[in-house]
Amino acid sequence: MKLTRRMIVVAIGAMAIAAQPLAAAAQNLPNNIRMVIGSTSTGGDTYQNASIVAEALSEQLGVNIKVDPVGTSEGLKALARDTRGNTIMLHHDQIYLSHLYGVPGNDDPFENFIIGPTVAINPGDSFLVPADSPYQTMEDILDAAEAGTQVRVAIQPGGVSEIGFTAMKNAARVRSPGSEANIVAVNTGSQADKNQAMWDGLADVINGSIQANEQFTQLGADDPKAMRFVWITARPQTLEQAPEAGMGDTTREEFLQYASPATSVTLDGTDDFAFDKEFFLLYNEEMDPAIMDAIDTALEKIYAEGEIQQRQSEAFFIPNFQPRDEALEHLSDKRDTVAGIIEQLKVE
Amino acid sequence: MDIFSLISPLFVALIVSGTFVGIIFGAIPGMTATMAVAVCLPLTYSLGLENGLALLLGLYVGGISGGTVPAVLLGIPGTPSSIATCFDAYPMAQRGEGEKALRISIIASLVGGLFSLIALYFFAPALADFAIRFSYVEKFLIIFFALTVMAALSSNMLLGIFSGFLGIFISLIGVYDVTDGGNGHYRLIPPGTEYWLDSGFSLLPVLIALFGLAAILEEAEKGMPRAKTASEIKVGAQSRFSFSVLKGQGRNLFQSSAIGTFIGILPGVGGSAASILSYTAAKTTSKHPEEYGKGSAEGIIATEAGNNALTGGALVPLLSLGIPGDSTTALLIGAFALQGVQVGPLFIGNNPETWNAMIVAMIIANVAMFIMMYFAIRWFAMVVTVPKYILYPVILMMCVIGAYTINYGIMFDVWTLLIFGIFGWLAIKIRLEIAPFIIGFILGPSAEIYFVKSLESFGDLTIFFTKSWIAVVLWVLIVASVVGSILMARRSKAMAEKI
Repeated sequence: MKLTRRMIVVAIGAMAIAAQPLAAAAQNLPNNIRMVIGSTSTGGDTYQNASIVAEALSEQLGVNIKVDPVGTSEGLKALARDTRGNTIMLHHDQIYLSHLYGVPGNDDPFENFIIGPTVAINPGDSFLVPADSPYQTMEDILDAAEAGTQVRVAIQPGGVSEIGFTAMKNAARVRSPGSEANIVAVNTGSQADKNQAMWDGLADVINGSIQANEQFTQLGADDPKAMRFVWITARPQTLEQAPEAGMGDTTREEFLQYASPATSVTLDGTDDFAFDKEFFLLYNEEMDPAIMDAIDTALEKIYAEGEIQQRQSEAFFIPNFQPRDEALEHLSDKRDTVAGIIEQLKVE
Repeated sequence: MDIFSLISPLFVALIVSGTFVGIIFGAIPGMTATMAVAVCLPLTYSLGLENGLALLLGLYVGGISGGTVPAVLLGIPGTPSSIATCFDAYPMAQRGEGEKALRISIIASLVGGLFSLIALYFFAPALADFAIRFSYVEKFLIIFFALTVMAALSSNMLLGIFSGFLGIFISLIGVYDVTDGGNGHYRLIPPGTEYWLDSGFSLLPVLIALFGLAAILEEAEKGMPRAKTASEIKVGAQSRFSFSVLKGQGRNLFQSSAIGTFIGILPGVGGSAASILSYTAAKTTSKHPEEYGKGSAEGIIATEAGNNALTGGALVPLLSLGIPGDSTTALLIGAFALQGVQVGPLFIGNNPETWNAMIVAMIIANVAMFIMMYFAIRWFAMVVTVPKYILYPVILMMCVIGAYTINYGIMFDVWTLLIFGIFGWLAIKIRLEIAPFIIGFILGPSAEIYFVKSLESFGDLTIFFTKSWIAVVLWVLIVASVVGSILMARRSKAMAEKI
């Protein structure tokens, strides 16, 4: 085909028109964006997710994005201070769960900030027992509570760790009202503290994660550090999207045995409780909507291209992009469900 | 597997450059090894796991070692793990033996680092199994033992202990965080200041303020002293460091390296506790405890061997349990996670290449650190010849930058620097003891968490005496340290009266 001057001008014009939305949005975008995260660790899943998303966004938008692990409180403060759009935040459900659990200083993020798009799910939230525990399943644990035996569960209060514990108590209450009093929390801190509580014999069950605890489940039964999974809180649909090889030496099929419906922790006697730990962005209320749109659009393109999904899957995350309207609706529903359970247990 | 196949030019270059950058980060007050690793972590994306770890481990070793430089020459701990270095190295430098103090520090650092590597390589799984026997009770007693140094460091024991408790009290300001298993409630915060004080005062700005800013204010009040010349600080051939200073220090080196390694393997206890504890133990077992705090080579050896031994020790729980031993190794988990590698009890067996690469990288980093610092000492030491009217503004600027960046840009940390700088200046006037204060401030939060958790977990106070044989041994050490301090204070008093 012969290229004429007119064709070149038309092509350039068409390209300019096609690129216009992003270019217009990019004009509003700051050159340097700080992505604060609600964790002070760079070793955890929040940093890992933030790094993957920041790198992809940075490339797509042509701006610098730096991840700063400042923690929830400092992250929210930084976000609240910056109306220009230079600061965005990435965190997970803990941000509203802390508010529901009444942790002081944690205001409602739905009221004070704008919920941005979701980006991924970590299906790894789990509960484990020592390898030589008498409890083989969650059924055994709930039976023990019903029979009057106290079951001590090591958790980090006020977040995703506690929601599983609350669900356990709720299931005990639904099965046999009053037995929930026998499911008691051992409030610890980090994963190291929870593991230590198990090794010290202070906890019968601990909250953990597939990523951090799977190797302990592969140790010989005579090893004092050996553990067994009893429950994975993720929805089965979520786990089904995990890599088939699973994580470490445990396959996806094996993980599914610890999740609903194979392992049932009832929500109301009919349905099971399941909870996906979801990562999403948060924006300052007064941030220019054009910047939010630009980030949403860029993420939509990134997820349409598909490379980010591969990176997230390799790290055992489930890619889960939802634009901010959908994310707001979805997370609001999720918040309402868990708020109901938490509220019921509070009254009692 | 051929271990030498790992040593590619890129691998070595990354370790050496990491060590170099780490030394610079450590040497600037307020910049830490943790920060150096955090800044470079995203680079590991493109480097691959082994090369990425080479860079990060170089930064780690360099960062911990670099903290020695300002501690020795300026009396400002570059990192919290260099705190105890200030106690003896700075007085030695003030005597005009800065080069000697630096060389002692570097040699002790190398020995501590290599000792901990040997322990890591041969005993990692066994040490991790031993470490899990340390519950909240034993960890509290270790912190308690380290706190006994408050009395030993004071020129007036009663004032020293009071200062130490004041440090603990101020360290408890803020929320008892739910992430530490606390209740998330505010305490000791004046109404209206919750926004700024919910996380309390950050350690590093307080540390820099009390050791750096307060001293600058003090000197500013007196009038700037004349800078020392190169010959006065004995930088030059006439004050060549002699290895004879290490004669008879084998036990001290071994003991301190062992303590540092051991503290490293206990998750959460940290580098500052390692150096303080090594110092306390060395002083308790020394034939010349009266020389400590006045420029004792033994004291420098103890703290530097202890804090560098932490590097290998902290990798033990990381690689054997998947649990970081300190804040910097917590960042290394990030490097593994970004490459999709799971760290845990099967890591060493499943990833022999990465394991060997890490050991090789640590050995090269320690040797590189030694060569770089040992032969550059003369240039480092020259810093004290810079006129104070030039040096102090530069230090002040570095202190402010360090304070601002430590928590990724929180302005309140700069205010903390100012508040505690003025507090430190006033404290000197009313004879509060700064060293016990800062030790109380560093160790207070850990002491609280482990004490509260011990009581929550085990029910009553008797558990501190009955939990295990480890607890009994720790009590013996605590009593020995306290009695030693009292006897030493009496002897000093008697000697003073004779004179």
